[in-house]
Amino acid sequence: MTAPLVDIADLVIGYDTGMRQVRALDGASLRIDEDETLAIVGESGSGKTTLGMAAGRLLPPEAKVIGGSIHVAGVDVTRADDEALRRLRHDKLGFVFQNPTTALDPTLRIGRQVALAMGGRPPPEAIAELLSRAELNESERILRAFPHELSGGMAQRVVIAMAIARRPHLLIADEPTASLDASIREKVMSTLGRLRAESGASLVILSHDLRMVARHADRVAVMYGGRIVELGSVTRVMQAPAHPYTRALLTAAAGNERPGERLCPIPGTPPILESRCEACAYADRCAFRETRCDTERPEARPFLGREVVCHRAEAVIGAPTQARQEDR
Amino acid sequence: MEPPVIALENVTVTYRSGFLGGTAFDALRGVSLNVSAGETVGLVGESGSGKTTLGRVCLGLLHPTAGRMHFAGTPFGGLRQRRGQLSVVLQHPEWALNPRLRCGRSVDEPLILTGVPAAARRKRVAEILEQVGLDPSFAARLPGQLSGGQRQRVAIARALVTRPRFIVFDEAVSALDVSVQAQVLNLIRDLQERHDFGALFISHDIAATRYVSHRIAVMLKGEIVEDGPAGKFYASPEHPYSRALLAAV
Repeated sequence: MTAPLVDIADLVIGYDTGMRQVRALDGASLRIDEDETLAIVGESGSGKTTLGMAAGRLLPPEAKVIGGSIHVAGVDVTRADDEALRRLRHDKLGFVFQNPTTALDPTLRIGRQVALAMGGRPPPEAIAELLSRAELNESERILRAFPHELSGGMAQRVVIAMAIARRPHLLIADEPTASLDASIREKVMSTLGRLRAESGASLVILSHDLRMVARHADRVAVMYGGRIVELGSVTRVMQAPAHPYTRALLTAAAGNERPGERLCPIPGTPPILESRCEACAYADRCAFRETRCDTERPEARPFLGREVVCHRAEAVIGAPTQARQEDR
Repeated sequence: MEPPVIALENVTVTYRSGFLGGTAFDALRGVSLNVSAGETVGLVGESGSGKTTLGRVCLGLLHPTAGRMHFAGTPFGGLRQRRGQLSVVLQHPEWALNPRLRCGRSVDEPLILTGVPAAARRKRVAEILEQVGLDPSFAARLPGQLSGGQRQRVAIARALVTRPRFIVFDEAVSALDVSVQAQVLNLIRDLQERHDFGALFISHDIAATRYVSHRIAVMLKGEIVEDGPAGKFYASPEHPYSRALLAAV
């Protein structure tokens, strides 16, 4: 068996905030294979962005790696020197950020920026060809345009074209469609998916939109309190969630309810950790809580073809779908 | 029968750029829309379709270039005359609240402007904070000390404090997390049952809109292309654009 493309083991990352240290990751472990699409979902503050950015060591200076390791394409990211890291980012990684208008340099024409991302002195035809792979037509006009002259969807396609310019092995997309209109989100996502399939790279989507994830990813990792609490194939996890948090996220999202039904929000707020959590981080908000959840830290275990971090997974998967109140 | 809170008839808004002979662009073209008391009308469409322009017209912030507009059966008139009867909740609560004012004071301000005596104001602020599900101690906090969902609750409390007859929610839940979104959507439904205000819920998220609305209007390029009961948007809307929106759910 070959080594996975990304191997993150028991990663702990904290942010120094002056007075205290806040833990963003509390022992996250994840392996990403070649040629797959993995989605990482969770609320804001769950640590998904920290995990995604850690793969390229693109974290702000106040973030400290406290424990664990990250290997990407054979490079030990936490210990690599600047040169090795530069080569890794340059050749193996591609990033797509949430807001394309801030990801592009406002003072450079698109053609110039794309050429920089491609490296060397690419002929104009090569740049146009790259843009058309990202489904951007009228490349003549786009090459001469400045970022503010493009619509959000076009700008995001330019960012995607730049991310794939060096044929990366791993593409990391942080909320790639959050700043775009609902009507073009789907098109941008399918462009991203098609390019991934063509190049055989792996794609990691960081998102809180479960419905979008369900359509575009092969596997899904649900994050809560700095850990991956459920990891498995999208169909398995979405149809029969084994972690109470996954289940609660699915019932809270508008879109699956029938007319007249009431949504069930998740009570409480996500935890802010200052040290290793010695209990289940979700216990306070959990409907399936028992005494063990407050005293014993759950460890990842295989369960029905997935991995889950919960003492009560058997009860969760067996529970009937809650009947929602009819009120309208 | 009671006249609708807001009635728009053939409203057109034209934006002009440049001096005489510059280009003109119709942001709204012949839009007719009624919102009754106790009813939420959802307004969906892509950016640039005129959703926000329509919201601004309903609030009286923008005068229609052509067409008529009535508020509870009488011509709209001046904004001063409508003080305390109209309200708005915006997308980003962190920008909508003054970061240097304590939340109690932010909620209090509309009452000060409408000249309510101090004792009645205090009582009203405590009452409305409780109704949006916030502890009275939140009145002494600054917006920076609250989470996104709590801030949006403060913004809703401020919008409701004068007991308005009409509220515009402009992308009010788009910036919130899934679980918080559900809390705020439920809150809007519960408060409407209690206060009977008419509401315009502007969003590009059709899933959230159909959940909170009684009726949905779909906008495309400045025109309303479909207007029907929300239940229809769970099954089979007529206009191809509405179907495309639904396909993304």
